[in-house]
Amino acid sequence: MLYRLLVEPFGFPFMARALTEAMLLGVLGGVVSVAVVLRRFAFVSDALTHTVFPGVVIGFMVAGAGGIVWGALVFAVFSAVLLTVLSSNRRVTEDATLAILLTGFFSVGVVLVSRRSSYTADLTAFLFGRILTVDRREILETAVVTVLVLAVLAVLGKELLLRAFDPDGSAALGYRVGLLDLALNVMVALVVVAAVKAVGTLLVIALLVVPAAAARLLTDRLALLVGASVLVGVLGGWLGLAVSYHASVYYGLRLASGATVVLALVALYAVAFAVGSARRMVSHHAPAAERA
Amino acid sequence: MNVLAEGYARRALVEVLLVGGLCGVVGVHVVLRRLSFFTMSMTHATFPGIVLAALLGLNLYLGAGLFGVLLVLAVAWLWSRPGANESSVVGVVLSAGFALGVLLLSAQSGFTKDLSAYLVGSVLTVQPADLVVTAGVGAAVLLLLATLRKELVLGAFDRGGLRALGYPAALLDIVLLLAIEATVVSAVPAVGVILSVALIVAPAATARLWTDRLATMTVVAVGVGAVSGVVGLVISQQARVSAGAAIVLVACGCFALSWLGAPRYGMVHRLLLRRRMVFA
Repeated sequence: MLYRLLVEPFGFPFMARALTEAMLLGVLGGVVSVAVVLRRFAFVSDALTHTVFPGVVIGFMVAGAGGIVWGALVFAVFSAVLLTVLSSNRRVTEDATLAILLTGFFSVGVVLVSRRSSYTADLTAFLFGRILTVDRREILETAVVTVLVLAVLAVLGKELLLRAFDPDGSAALGYRVGLLDLALNVMVALVVVAAVKAVGTLLVIALLVVPAAAARLLTDRLALLVGASVLVGVLGGWLGLAVSYHASVYYGLRLASGATVVLALVALYAVAFAVGSARRMVSHHAPAAERA
Repeated sequence: MNVLAEGYARRALVEVLLVGGLCGVVGVHVVLRRLSFFTMSMTHATFPGIVLAALLGLNLYLGAGLFGVLLVLAVAWLWSRPGANESSVVGVVLSAGFALGVLLLSAQSGFTKDLSAYLVGSVLTVQPADLVVTAGVGAAVLLLLATLRKELVLGAFDRGGLRALGYPAALLDIVLLLAIEATVVSAVPAVGVILSVALIVAPAATARLWTDRLATMTVVAVGVGAVSGVVGLVISQQARVSAGAAIVLVACGCFALSWLGAPRYGMVHRLLLRRRMVFA
């Protein structure tokens, strides 16, 4: 039974490709989401998933399907820089700036798209992606971004961690806090760009927040946090694809695969939440000596 | 201005004025309490409520409203847990709600059309009944905010003080979150997700750059919201682009200009000030 649910669907080449893409994104999302959650950057990620939209549209208009990644990349880096600059005004808090940037950029994309005829189909593809039709080149692009981002995180991990927990200490040690923030923004933007065409903005934001948020409920130690987060990301992708395949093949119920992956991730979050709460309750009732 | 002479255009005008004004007032609290991300997540996460209501043939506002109340309670409960990370909680709730909506919708056919109306709204097809709902919700929310004004402002600036004075801080939080949720729900069917967030945050953030006084800030926010609505509507009619997007861009333009040129807190002024200090 378990074999039929979890292994059999991936005998088809298109499902195998979708699984490869979901696994890669699970690893990438799992690692980057740790930085996102520790730095409380969930809203930044959400904003960046929307600000690349005009880039996607312009890239498509100028160079066809091949232009999408480059358009998205330009706008992602542009909005990451703009975000860092705009946050320098302490009068308006960062979250308000983000909301304005997000809606403004997204509206530019909508204005551009609304002048075309196949308006709603384009918008839908952008939001939900088409993970079942990802091709070899897109998988390769995701793999390249994964390697790149992991390399940068391996180099800057300690500095980013220090900046997340103690910005003043990090500045006092002579680190350029603004540059570190920019580096994280650009990394999140890269993940968005790598994933948006295949899985859509909805799945990207879930991948950038949920795995580490779930792992955080279970452990305080960084190494375990990264491991658990990657595990949640990969498992969520696998389970989600398997469930959506089964529902449509055996029960005639069409479930959007991207959305099913997100809900699988959220279900894992709920499990982590239950386990974390239960464990806290047990340790709460344990004698004080054992707790220490 | 004769583009606005048609009946549908006049209804759209009334709707953007109502929504702009209401969002301006609510936005002041959203900006002061740093609830922009929560607002954004409400717009996305009430989506399953709308889909469910459409499937069951119920009123869309009712579906979104009831689902939103559930979400507000869930967020408030998760926030109150020890060691909760507020922004991650909102991110999880946002993903979960929106994905659930998409899942429900994908099980149906005729998927794409409804969705884009939900995202960017269709202010030009607003019906008189929508205007009544917006006006009703607006009046209720304004009355609530006016009654609790002092407590909410105190909570925004000094939570410890609020609790020390014996006010039920957690309950006040939930009331404010519900007011924001009601505003979002009443605005979304007419003007869409993206526009409602922009109209709540951008006018209030713009006002914050011009004044320190709360009453003035509220008035400026209402003015910016209403003016953005009207100007955006006219531009969209002339240039034949999406009305919702045009309104958002006008509101964001107001913020950008103020960010640069506002008298005390604008970029230009701060740069001049720094130079004067260097040469002094």
